[in-house]
Amino acid sequence: MAPYHAMMAHFPVAIFLTASIILAFRAISAGQLARSFDRVLVPLLALGIVTGVVTYVFGLMVWPADTLQTTPLGRNHMMAATWSMAYWTAVLALRWWVGERAWEGFTNRLIMLGLGALGGGLLAITGTIGGHLHGAPSFLTSVLREIGWEVYATFYFPSWIFFVLAVVIVAMPAVAVVTVRSRNARMKAEGGAA
Amino acid sequence: MIRRRTAVVAVSGLFTAALFLALVTHSTGIVRDDPERKRWIPAELTMPLELRVAYNDSEIFFHYRWPADRPHVYTDLLRYNDGRWERKLHSPVGSDPDGIYEDRLTMMVDDGSVPEFQRYGGYITVGANMRDFSDAGDYAGRDDAHRRKYLPATRSDPDDWYSIVDADTLAAQREAGYFLDLWHWRAHLSNPVGHSDDQFIAWYRLYDSGQGPFFSNWDGDAKQPRFMFDAAASGQPALRWEDVTGTGARMPTGYFLSEDTAVPFDAGRDWRDGDVIPGQVLREPSGGRGTIRVQGEGRWADGYWDVTLARKLDTGYPLEDKIFRDQGVYSIALSVHRDARASRWHYVSMPVQVGLGRNGDVKATRFDGAVPDWSRIEPHEVKLFYPGQVSWPRLTHEIHAGSKYIAKGVPVKFRHSEAQLAQYGVEIEFEREIRRQWWLSMIAGVLLVVSFVFSVSILLGHRED
Repeated sequence: MAPYHAMMAHFPVAIFLTASIILAFRAISAGQLARSFDRVLVPLLALGIVTGVVTYVFGLMVWPADTLQTTPLGRNHMMAATWSMAYWTAVLALRWWVGERAWEGFTNRLIMLGLGALGGGLLAITGTIGGHLHGAPSFLTSVLREIGWEVYATFYFPSWIFFVLAVVIVAMPAVAVVTVRSRNARMKAEGGAA
Repeated sequence: MIRRRTAVVAVSGLFTAALFLALVTHSTGIVRDDPERKRWIPAELTMPLELRVAYNDSEIFFHYRWPADRPHVYTDLLRYNDGRWERKLHSPVGSDPDGIYEDRLTMMVDDGSVPEFQRYGGYITVGANMRDFSDAGDYAGRDDAHRRKYLPATRSDPDDWYSIVDADTLAAQREAGYFLDLWHWRAHLSNPVGHSDDQFIAWYRLYDSGQGPFFSNWDGDAKQPRFMFDAAASGQPALRWEDVTGTGARMPTGYFLSEDTAVPFDAGRDWRDGDVIPGQVLREPSGGRGTIRVQGEGRWADGYWDVTLARKLDTGYPLEDKIFRDQGVYSIALSVHRDARASRWHYVSMPVQVGLGRNGDVKATRFDGAVPDWSRIEPHEVKLFYPGQVSWPRLTHEIHAGSKYIAKGVPVKFRHSEAQLAQYGVEIEFEREIRRQWWLSMIAGVLLVVSFVFSVSILLGHRED
C-alpha cells in the first residue's frame, strides 16, 4: 500500500498548501484577487480533508498497526498526520462558521495568518517524516533538529504537561464563552437602555 | 469584563504558550534509569573511534584510538573486609559506581562466510532471551549470565536461545567458516601481558584453544586468594580499596598480578580492611588463544586509549580465526566498553569493510618492515553507538518496519545512521511506556487544536450574527 499512500499524499499536501497560501494572501490583502481566492477556501479545504482521510487510511495499511506504532518515525508521522487532519478540519469549520468575519480587523487577520502558517508547518513536518519513512529524507529534518526536535525520537509529552494542556483546553473556550456572554449581555443592556 | 479582542489575544497566547511548552519539554519524563529492569542509558549515545589498518607479508596491524575520560583497569577484585576475603566480581548495570570494571575493545571479523554479518554487523549475534535484556521471556532468572552471543543458523527456533542445532551440524558449520573471529582486548586481563584475548562466535561465544592470558586467583574452598603481590618487590602485598576506586584521570602502575611476580598467598599476614588483591593472575597466553599481541604498548594518556593489535595473517587455526590474505576484503565490527561498564552497556559500530590492498571502507596499507609508520596512514573515523536492547529475532520480525528490507538483503547503513540506531535502541527499552505516552499526546494535541479553533470561532462569531 506504500506506493498508493505516497501517490495519494500529493493531493492533501497540494490542497492544504494552497489553502495556507490563500489564508496568508487574504490576511494581507482585501483586493479582488484575494477575495476570489477566499471564496473557494471552504470547498478547497473540504476536498483536502476528503483526500486527506483517504491518504491517512492508506497510510495505516502500509504496515501492521503494531509495526507502525513501535517505530519512532512511524509514530511521529502518524501523530503529525493526525494533528494535520484535525487542524485543517478545525480550520474548515472555523472558516465556514465565521464566514467573512474572519477577515474583519487586524487581530482576526493576524489569527488567520497564524493559522495558515501553523497549518503549513504541520503539513511540512508530516511530509518530511513521511519522506524519511519512504527512504528519502530531506534537509527539513535538519531544520527540525535545529528547533529542538530529533525526528528519530518519538514526540510525546511528559505526564505533567497533560495537566497543563487540560487547563489550557478548558480555559480557552471558557474565556471565549465568558467574553461572548458578557458582550451579549452588555449589548442587550445597551439596547434596553436605548 | 473582557473585551473580544483581548480575549482573542488571550486565547491565542494560551495556545501558543501550550505549543511552545510542548515543544521544549517533548520526549522527556519517560526514559530514566531503572536497574531493577536492567535499564540504564548512557549520557552519550555515540562516540568516535579512529581506525588505521596496515599489513606486511606476514602480519596485520589494527591501530585503535578512542576517547575515555579516565582509564578503568581494574576488574574482578578480592577484598578483605570484616576479617574475611570476599570476591568483588559482578557485571554492573550501566557504570559501576566504584569504577571497577575494565575498559575493553572487541573486534568481530569475518571473511564473507557469514554473509549477514557484512550487512548487519553484530546485530546478528544478539539472539533471543539475551542476558541483561529487560525481558528474557520464559527464561528469566534461569542461567541468565550464560545466554550470550550466537549466530542465527545455530538455532532451530529464532525465538529460543536454547534451540541449539545438533553437534554434527554445528561442526559442519564451523568447517564451512560459519563463525566470527572475536579479538578481545582487555585493559586488565590481557593488556598488561601484551596480548589481546582471542575468541570466536559460533553457537556460543567461545574461547580459542590454548592457554588464556589469565587464571583465577580465588581459592573457593579456602575462601581466600591463591596469590598476592610480592611485598619485597612491590612494597606491599596488596592494593588498597581507596586507591583502586580513586584512580582518577591517570594510568596507575602495579595494578595487576602476574604469574612472574606473584607469590603464594599468606593467610597469616596482618591483613587490613580495604586490602585488595586482583581476582585473576595474568600469564603469557599460548596456542590459538595467544595469537594476537599488543604491538608496542596499549596505553591511556590525555583522555585517549591508543592500542595497536597485531596478528599473523594466517595463524594456523582456521577453525577459530579468520585468515587474512593479500587482496582480500573482510568485514569487521568494533565495540568499546568504557566508563566502567560491562555486558551490553557498550558502544558498537556498523559493519566496516577492510580491504587488504583493495578498496573497502578502509583500505589497509601494505608496508615493508616489521612495524607500520602510523603517521603516514590516515585514520578512518568510525562512529560507535549505544545499541540498546535490539535483537536479531526482533529485527527480522514484522514488528520491525525494516524486516522486509533485511529479507531482501539491504544493508543496515542504507537505511539507518548510527545516531538513529542509538535513538531507536533507547526507545525499544521503553517501548510500552513511550507508546502509551505517545497515544495520550496525540489525543491531547487533537483536543488542544479543536479547543483553540472552537474558541476562536466563538469569539469571531457566526457569519450571520
